[in-house]
Amino acid sequence: MNVDVTGGARELDRATLLRRRFLRQRGGVIGAAIVFLAMIVALLAPWLAPHPYDATDLVNVWAAPDAHNWLGTDKLGRDIASRLIVGARTSLVVAFSVVAVTLAIGVTLGMAAGYFGGWTERLIMRTVDVVLAFPEVVIAILIAAVLGPGLATVIVSLALVWWPGIARLARSLVLVQKQELYVDAAIVSGATSGEVLRRHLLPNIVAPLLVRASVGVGFIIMAEATLSFLGLGVQEPTPSWGSMIRDGLPVLRSDPYLAVFGSVALGLTIIGFNLLGDGLRDALDPRLHGR
Amino acid sequence: MIRFVLGRIAGLVPVLAAAIVVTFLAARALPGDPVTVMLSDHSADKVMAAKLSAEYGLDRPLIEQFVRYVAGLAVGDFGLSFRYVRQPVTSVIRDSLLISPVLALAALALALALGSAAGIVAALYRNRMADTAIIVVLVAGLSIPNFAIATFLVYVLSVKANLLPVAGWGTWQQAILPVVVLAIPSAAYIARLARTFMLEVLQQDFVRTARAKGLAESAVVLRHAFLNTLVPLITSAGIIFGSLLSNTVVVETIFNIPGLGRLAIDSVFARDYPVVMAVVILFVLFFAAINLLVDVLYAVIDPRIRAGLSA
Repeated sequence: MNVDVTGGARELDRATLLRRRFLRQRGGVIGAAIVFLAMIVALLAPWLAPHPYDATDLVNVWAAPDAHNWLGTDKLGRDIASRLIVGARTSLVVAFSVVAVTLAIGVTLGMAAGYFGGWTERLIMRTVDVVLAFPEVVIAILIAAVLGPGLATVIVSLALVWWPGIARLARSLVLVQKQELYVDAAIVSGATSGEVLRRHLLPNIVAPLLVRASVGVGFIIMAEATLSFLGLGVQEPTPSWGSMIRDGLPVLRSDPYLAVFGSVALGLTIIGFNLLGDGLRDALDPRLHGR
Repeated sequence: MIRFVLGRIAGLVPVLAAAIVVTFLAARALPGDPVTVMLSDHSADKVMAAKLSAEYGLDRPLIEQFVRYVAGLAVGDFGLSFRYVRQPVTSVIRDSLLISPVLALAALALALALGSAAGIVAALYRNRMADTAIIVVLVAGLSIPNFAIATFLVYVLSVKANLLPVAGWGTWQQAILPVVVLAIPSAAYIARLARTFMLEVLQQDFVRTARAKGLAESAVVLRHAFLNTLVPLITSAGIIFGSLLSNTVVVETIFNIPGLGRLAIDSVFARDYPVVMAVVILFVLFFAAINLLVDVLYAVIDPRIRAGLSA
């Protein structure tokens, strides 16, 4: 694999090359734009929202869009536009927490399995197989039964579902890197296993791991919304796109705004993340382009 | 062949053991005393509490409870429900048992048909309008969660056009939307795989040979190229069935279908843990069964797998 012997110059070339390859793809660029917009909205949510997200107005429930409530109001008269904007924050906070937790667990265990081999590897990889044998919603239901519905349930169950994939990738990357001379050099110069793993192996496998994690963000947002839709996720009054769609579904016939606008926001965001992920993957591995 | 199947069955043991231990421990780690919950207003009644506790076996040591739990599972007994006091879990889940797997199988069939057709067309018209259009639809189908897709379909087909029932279960009209909604993400996934496999196969020598000897293009595409993409497609069917089974929970909630998934969600909120655990174990079983079936099917199609040459 790529051992950087020439220093910064070559890295820079590679980064430029990747950026050029990425910019050539229409899908990836559109995705990046959507993701950028979603992040800005999530970051500035309290300032962008025209009304407080939890301000109820019981004489004005299920209102149609007008000049005051741009996208109408929900069953408690709360402003849908404001709740969608703050809901972006919920989605992204969950997504990035899950990515951080999965990377921490998956990379640690996967690298340990690949580097130490033997019983450590067998134990970790058998655990991975067993976890993968549970359908993902089943894991969420199990966690929700124990912890009760809420933010923690969402993050814990999604992290449980996602770490095995990262662990498998980290293990296989370490298995390849372990053959390289620089690892032997580090070992003979007296580095401990921890140092070899952290200072020598990790920097060389971090790029594909990050890409893999970024490809997963769209799916994690989808999973968060699904759990919220089922009522297992973030609880009232905190807005989440999934639970907003759930609230809107029974009144679809008379007041479609909540469910429809919620679905649009959610669908667009996930499409954005998926396009960006595909673009990143294709830029890193052009052989996959167009597949 | 028999050795191969037995080996695969043995591989399921740790998975089932994990499911059993995890569900048992989770049910015991839960907050609150189930007897108090069941008695609700009568929770001060010590005699009744002791009686219920004995009936549910909750007064025994943990190890004994576990042994009884496993022994019960072996004969298909999941214990007693907390919500429907003194009712066996089996009678609570009996009516829902087959709905989720049937929904998932119907969706799998639809997804395989739609997905491979779209994949073949996209591969044949590579980088032209039809291909681009299909890819755009695929990205949307993979990205938009199925409850959002359901929202649109119900709004357009049921509310506006009044063509199909909004929700419910029992008639075939009521089954159309749930199966379609369930199938869409998987169809998109399969189409993407089928397109990739077809593009690869179409470049093989035997396809050129088939064309060179004057076969009709339809025979080349269907018999020579597509049949060779079936093996990897069937392998992926196991993973797809797992996600379909997961998604039945969502679809049953949207369309108010009395299946196992909705029962599990209702039971989480009703704190009926024995039912939740039973559904978890059943879902793991269904998932394992279909994966076993796929492995066996795969070995039947491809003799190299049987001989352990690649896997």
